Amino acid sequence: MITPTSVVLDGKVVEVQQTGDKMLVELYRRFAGDYPKFFKMDTLCRLGFIAAEILLKHSAAGVQPSAVILANRSASIKNDTDYLATIRDGDYYPSPALFVYTLPNIVTGEIAIRHHIQGETAFYILDTPEELEPLIHSTLSAQPSAFSTVLAGWTECSAPNEFYAKLQLIWNN
Amino acid sequence: MEQLIEQLKNQIIEALNFEDMTPADIETDAPLFGEGLGLDSIDALELIMLLDREYGIKLADPKAGKAIFASVRTMAEYIQANRTK
Amino acid sequence: MVSCIAHNIISPLGEGSQANYEAVRAGRSGLRLYTDRFEDVEPFCASLFDTPQEFVPLCIRSVEEAVAQYTCSDLLHRSDTIFILSTTKGDQLDLLTPAQRIARHFGNPNPPVVVSNACTSGVCAQITAMRLLEAGLYKHAVVVGCDIQTKFIVSGFQAFKALSPEPCLPFSPDRKGLNLGEAAATVVYSSNPSAFSGQTLWTLAAGSIHNDANHISAPSRTGDGAFLCLQDVTEGVQKEAISLIGVHGTATPYNDAMETVALERAGLQDIPILALKPFFGHTMGAAGVLETILCAMQAQNGQPAQDRTVHVIKMLSGFGGVNAAIRMEIGN
Repeated sequence: MITPTSVVLDGKVVEVQQTGDKMLVELYRRFAGDYPKFFKMDTLCRLGFIAAEILLKHSAAGVQPSAVILANRSASIKNDTDYLATIRDGDYYPSPALFVYTLPNIVTGEIAIRHHIQGETAFYILDTPEELEPLIHSTLSAQPSAFSTVLAGWTECSAPNEFYAKLQLIWNN
Repeated sequence: MEQLIEQLKNQIIEALNFEDMTPADIETDAPLFGEGLGLDSIDALELIMLLDREYGIKLADPKAGKAIFASVRTMAEYIQANRTK
Repeated sequence: MVSCIAHNIISPLGEGSQANYEAVRAGRSGLRLYTDRFEDVEPFCASLFDTPQEFVPLCIRSVEEAVAQYTCSDLLHRSDTIFILSTTKGDQLDLLTPAQRIARHFGNPNPPVVVSNACTSGVCAQITAMRLLEAGLYKHAVVVGCDIQTKFIVSGFQAFKALSPEPCLPFSPDRKGLNLGEAAATVVYSSNPSAFSGQTLWTLAAGSIHNDANHISAPSRTGDGAFLCLQDVTEGVQKEAISLIGVHGTATPYNDAMETVALERAGLQDIPILALKPFFGHTMGAAGVLETILCAMQAQNGQPAQDRTVHVIKMLSGFGGVNAAIRMEIGN
């Protein structure tokens, strides 16, 4: 679980020096550090990317999720706002690098690319994290063999330095 | 020209989010795509936007970008020859 | 078994699925050149409503027309009915509130689900519906797909240089890019069709979603994700029984090449394909729903008598490297 001021992994607090967006960079340098594309990502993607990275590194060696299913309430609103600033009337220079991140599901794509997951990636917009459970449940029961391990959770980012992530690795028995 | 090259390197770093880099890290004649900085298709589009925003140059055909963006130097030369800002 | 018991399309080509189907059969396209619809934006070719539409009323109208035509409006307010909205940019960047307003308008007590999986959302939403119904969590699902074109979306695709200034040409060697479009489309799925009109228009038999794991905005050159989806949904099905495949067909150089590779890898290259974007443009969140309906209607039209089952596949790809496909069964 990641908030702008804290990181908790499997119930244990992970010490961090920074807060907010700077904390995400600090986490990247500590737990990854080998993926310059991280710096192109918007806050939502950085959040999801690093949460997934920490979780997967911490889990059983070589675990390869067969799907990435995430959800939030605000879609990609923070990045949408950043993009809007590049298309103001009369000051119009639309940024392709920002536009590509104006879709919430891109974070699932970034995780899939990093971890070579050619399974399912999905993104839902819901009112609360609890509403994701029936969606996960019905996905797992649809094709048990295709969904042996699923990386799932809530990645919310509504404003600069305002974000929340809670990810889990779900083993389908 | 040297001043333009330095300015351009700074602009590239900012536009393409190369957080850890300084202009000294970018070789003027090294390939931008492929090896070198390893830029991709989105970066190419972002550079096209940079040409428009900073130098008033509109590139209609993205394919022409390949030659222009071969290196920082070729970019600077193109800008020098075609800038309207 | 998950059955479609109602559907509807509202687009610049007309009101109602039948009107849209007839427009396509007559070769009418909604694509026009727009020169000053949005400030600063270069001229672009798209299929837009003559009168700008509002997101939520448009969706509500589509649902109302669907259930009115197929006499199943009673299911809308039931607690075993779920509303699923497929959209990429919602109502001016808000995706959840419009879904809540739509569900509330019909008196539905459940929190709606919004599927936002880029351009594959319309197919993914149907897969979500299928899974929720098969798991017995709900008995009926109202799937609405909708997107309205705005300066936000058009400017972004122009920045990507992905748009063609002319009507798009899917799978043509002369293709130059895509056109945008707007529409609303609804499909209603039920695991208990006899409770209402009883008519099963088609059965949703399989669905699959796969990521290329290659790039966030360019498709895999080897069509990995699309191929895996096709493989999944055609498992156990005779190729001769597949009557058509609704492709994504955005007419960008990369997309169509990728789809061709995926179709060949799956051994489906001899099956007729249907590319609808020259008529509607790319309707984003609505595409998966709208195009599914028309593919099914086309297959049904070609069925002289209901003496055998035919299969129809609808495939889509989208930003984020995502690919999706569903298979419908029509007939027995």
